[in-house]
Amino acid sequence: MEITFEHVTHSYDANSPMANLGLDDVSLKINDKKFTAIVGQTGSGKSTLVRHINALLKPTAGKIIVGDRVITSETNNKNLKPLRKKVGMVFQFPESQLFEETVEKDIMFGPMNFGFSESEAKDAAHKMIELVGLNQDYLQKSPFDLSGGQMRRVAIAGVLASNPETIILDEPTAGLDPVGRHEIMDLFKSLQTKGKTIILITHNMDDVANYADEMAVMSQGKLVASGLPSDVFNSQKLLEDDLLTLPQSAQFAQSLAKKYFQFDKLPITIDELSAEIKQQVNGD
Amino acid sequence: MEKIISIKNLNYTYPDSKKPAINNLTVDIYKNEWLSIVGKNGSGKSTLTKLIDGLIDADSGTIEIDGQEINEKNIWEVRTKIGIVFQNPDHQFVGATVEDDVAFGLENQGMPREQMVKEVDHALELVGMHKFKKRDPQTLSGGQKQRVAIAGVLATRPQIIIMDESTSMLDPEGRRTVLNLIQELRQQQDLTIISITHDISETELSQRIVVLNDGQIVRDDIPRNIYDMGTDLSKYGLEEPFSDELMSTLRNSVELPESYLNEEELMKRLWKLRSNM
Repeated sequence: MEITFEHVTHSYDANSPMANLGLDDVSLKINDKKFTAIVGQTGSGKSTLVRHINALLKPTAGKIIVGDRVITSETNNKNLKPLRKKVGMVFQFPESQLFEETVEKDIMFGPMNFGFSESEAKDAAHKMIELVGLNQDYLQKSPFDLSGGQMRRVAIAGVLASNPETIILDEPTAGLDPVGRHEIMDLFKSLQTKGKTIILITHNMDDVANYADEMAVMSQGKLVASGLPSDVFNSQKLLEDDLLTLPQSAQFAQSLAKKYFQFDKLPITIDELSAEIKQQVNGD
Repeated sequence: MEKIISIKNLNYTYPDSKKPAINNLTVDIYKNEWLSIVGKNGSGKSTLTKLIDGLIDADSGTIEIDGQEINEKNIWEVRTKIGIVFQNPDHQFVGATVEDDVAFGLENQGMPREQMVKEVDHALELVGMHKFKKRDPQTLSGGQKQRVAIAGVLATRPQIIIMDESTSMLDPEGRRTVLNLIQELRQQQDLTIISITHDISETELSQRIVVLNDGQIVRDDIPRNIYDMGTDLSKYGLEEPFSDELMSTLRNSVELPESYLNEEELMKRLWKLRSNM
């Protein structure tokens, strides 16, 4: 689903200590069936931005167009279910939202809420548990007996079970070990190849370089850059203003360029970096 | 080297679980060292922390801290020697202002107010958060929150600080600040640091790395030798260090040694190869 932000501003209650957060005239297009990463320092407005996509927050000014829905300050809370069924959201530390007595019931909760029959929801639970890398045995366990990483997977399965077209992920791998992180990131990439639109909030620039097609950079509620990762990570201005950190490969290339080496464009993945080094060392 | 923690034949199995979370574990931790404990989710890292802090009781085995074996009677006293900084800074705040928050642990110890004010100021000074002392902790960035949490721990004057994945939720800038701060404090305050992590880059400042798997120590070595395990690290839920991964992609066409090089060493090697062209 294509998602367009047109001059979106969001101000939190001026009396709250969060008044300085929010969004400030953001215009951004998130393309259909792409993997888009949203980055920026803590408090830059990333979470506020994505919460507008399924109308958990509404703009103070401007509008958001999500497929055939338009969300403005006037949008009321009725009839948001069809939108929320299309836009699935995995929050930070989603395991804190598990509550049912079995994993199966927990995964079924979302789909049933969106009008799946019990047998359809059960079916979805059985498919999703495997998709997130756990076997069927887990379905009858209590979610609270699982490890943190397993709970995370169950929570993600619960969101996927409603079969949303667009999946928003707010730091879904925070706290997971690197092997678990790669597995989860590969899962999202494979969902994208099956036709889903993926929107990922992350601090991990290597994940951006390795998985995202497009990226957006937020700072103090403003969108400061958007485009292809290879272009955005090569923006001198963003780096000088300290609005972005580089993936490891680009950082390495930057240091390497202090002597003998020269990069017209900083490589952002290890394969790109390796190819450049080989060429410059061997001259081939 | 003087031991500060000595663990012998420690065993712990969670109720309702068949598999031991800690399996006959023996390790010594030395005064003023920075020890990293690494391993994948479920390897026993957090359980070990809870056992050291006396939050759970071992099924068998002993833990000696600063020469005292932990038991029911002395656990409260022993615990004052240990401070823990947890993963999620948002779950650790109780005070309405930064200074209230840092004072919390001291109030619990029943410290007189005048002395408490001094201690709080001193701790905030140490972590570079003094000018924020009147702020609401919730308005701080993640890195700032963790610095306040560290100040709260420092104020109680522990000998040992356990960092339980304390930088995993921070952005790269926040992470760097916190790790450098911990290194500085270790040196200035003669602290022992135990950091629990599965981020290999976080272990670079430590002197020793213990790799846990299924509740057992599978490796105990200096970082360089651990990093030399290369792709084998993934068996334990860890990532290969960046320089090692890069070297393996280069090896088929660039002449490089078999052993581990850190990023700086690799860069020097590449400059040399390039300058010889």
